[in-house]
Amino acid sequence: MQFGIFSVGDLTADPTTGRTPTEQERIKATVAIAKKAEEVGLDVFATGEHHNEPFISSNPTATLAYIGAQTSTLQLSTATTLITTTDPVLIAEDYAKVQHLVDGRLDLMMGRGNTGPVYPWFGKDIRQGIPLAVENYALLRRLWREHTVDWEGRFRSPLQGYTSTPRPLDDVPPFVWHGSIRSPEIAEQAAYYGDGFFHNHIFWPPSHTARMVALYRQRFEHYGHGSADQAIVGLGGQVFMRKRSQDAVAEFRPYFDNAPVYGHGPSLEDFTSQTPLTVGSPQQVIERTLGFREYAGDYQRQLFLIDHAGLPLKTVLEQLDLLGEEVVPVLRREFEALRPAHVPSDPPLHPAVLAQRAAAQQDEEAVA
Amino acid sequence: MTRLVVVSAGLSNPSSTRLLADRLTTAALDRLPGAEVTHVELRDLAHAIADNLLTGFPSGELAEAVAAVAQADALVVVTPVFSASYSGLFKSFFDVLDPGTLEGTPVLLAATAGTPRHSLVLDHALRPLFSYLRAVPVPTGVFAAAEDFASPELAARVERAAGELADAVTRRPRPHAVDPFADVTPFAELLG
Repeated sequence: MQFGIFSVGDLTADPTTGRTPTEQERIKATVAIAKKAEEVGLDVFATGEHHNEPFISSNPTATLAYIGAQTSTLQLSTATTLITTTDPVLIAEDYAKVQHLVDGRLDLMMGRGNTGPVYPWFGKDIRQGIPLAVENYALLRRLWREHTVDWEGRFRSPLQGYTSTPRPLDDVPPFVWHGSIRSPEIAEQAAYYGDGFFHNHIFWPPSHTARMVALYRQRFEHYGHGSADQAIVGLGGQVFMRKRSQDAVAEFRPYFDNAPVYGHGPSLEDFTSQTPLTVGSPQQVIERTLGFREYAGDYQRQLFLIDHAGLPLKTVLEQLDLLGEEVVPVLRREFEALRPAHVPSDPPLHPAVLAQRAAAQQDEEAVA
Repeated sequence: MTRLVVVSAGLSNPSSTRLLADRLTTAALDRLPGAEVTHVELRDLAHAIADNLLTGFPSGELAEAVAAVAQADALVVVTPVFSASYSGLFKSFFDVLDPGTLEGTPVLLAATAGTPRHSLVLDHALRPLFSYLRAVPVPTGVFAAAEDFASPELAARVERAAGELADAVTRRPRPHAVDPFADVTPFAELLG
């Protein structure tokens, strides 16, 4: 099972000091956070994608390639790649390039984006969000799997004799997750292709997660990719930890109270009970996280959000220390102990696909 | 069994808005014997409604109220008039419902005010709102200014409106809402 972090890349004032980091500080902090994730033994760093203030997460491929150059084991991913407003031809090219640069340590998560004006800025219509996600992804898949593509659809100019370059590394397209909070069409899409399904599992009640994951699993089996419990599921989560629970609550409260998205709304205590947010000791985070499998089943990837709402870099790095030292080693052990043998531990990433291919070739040669 | 949900947005206690809601409920029940009634008192949900506006999901008792409204066969909605329209709390409750929640639901519109000069609020504010929400407001709305509580005409309007609501329920049972998770569109259809 993989553990990591995902970042939305918000540029938010620290409510305890009133100071907003500069864009460069936040961009460099993102890199420092990703490097630290590898250093403390986490597996994955995923960056969001936004094309509006107050975010620094445009051009995710530059960020991922830069981080990839300074890490050696960290899996790089997105949370999410905007499949609606980004030209799928550019996604095919850009992410294949990064995949080569980082020796295959790359996967992607497709999302639609919920910022209204971003759609018209990129020549699209938010009311077409689902059809855009469906058509663009269908094209992206072909571009990574077929050398020469002739194509015509509703949302971009037709292609005749187009080849996306570079080709995916070793002809293994990057693994893809589909993320959605509550649109059944996206769970259906992930299931149809046998791709992964990721539920962001932050800011919303777990009931959304349970319903989406259940649908995805059921349809994954329906489409013949394996049994429902073998479907590839990823979950988010939001945590803030200190050794002593009361210290975590006291320190996090001003960030919570002023946070983008949910700030100035429900109390920290209410939100903690209504959503997967956990603020407390490492032990509390372990217990809460182990509970996720009770409604999502045994899953393959857990990403935590730890760097938003203006939390200073130093604090975020301390969170990573706690995750790496106290939380993730226990979670790895416990989740694996609970997982049935026929349920995969990991998503089928680049090395696994290569190994599978080599094994299949050997079998063929043995038969021949 | 018919499920009648009564949404009342009065802020004081006792509330003339709740008083009117109760009169309408009694009159509706006379014509829908055995109906199950759920009262949704928005004052008690005010904090949760504000939270929902910020977080995007209903919590606790608000989630129960939203579910009750979504499953209702008929609604009675009553708001006090604030600044020449429905109250902000009343509107906010309907703002947090998912699109389509009230589609096809018969609704009895009612309002209270301190002065009869607000009486057109039903037709100028509430009726367009519920038309937008694709609910089916019955023709008679019931407006009660303070002085109407001394008028026999109020009782007549209550009876007529309740009769129209009961007729609407009986005549055209609400279409069964589709659960997009139980009845998923196959991907081949989405691919087109």
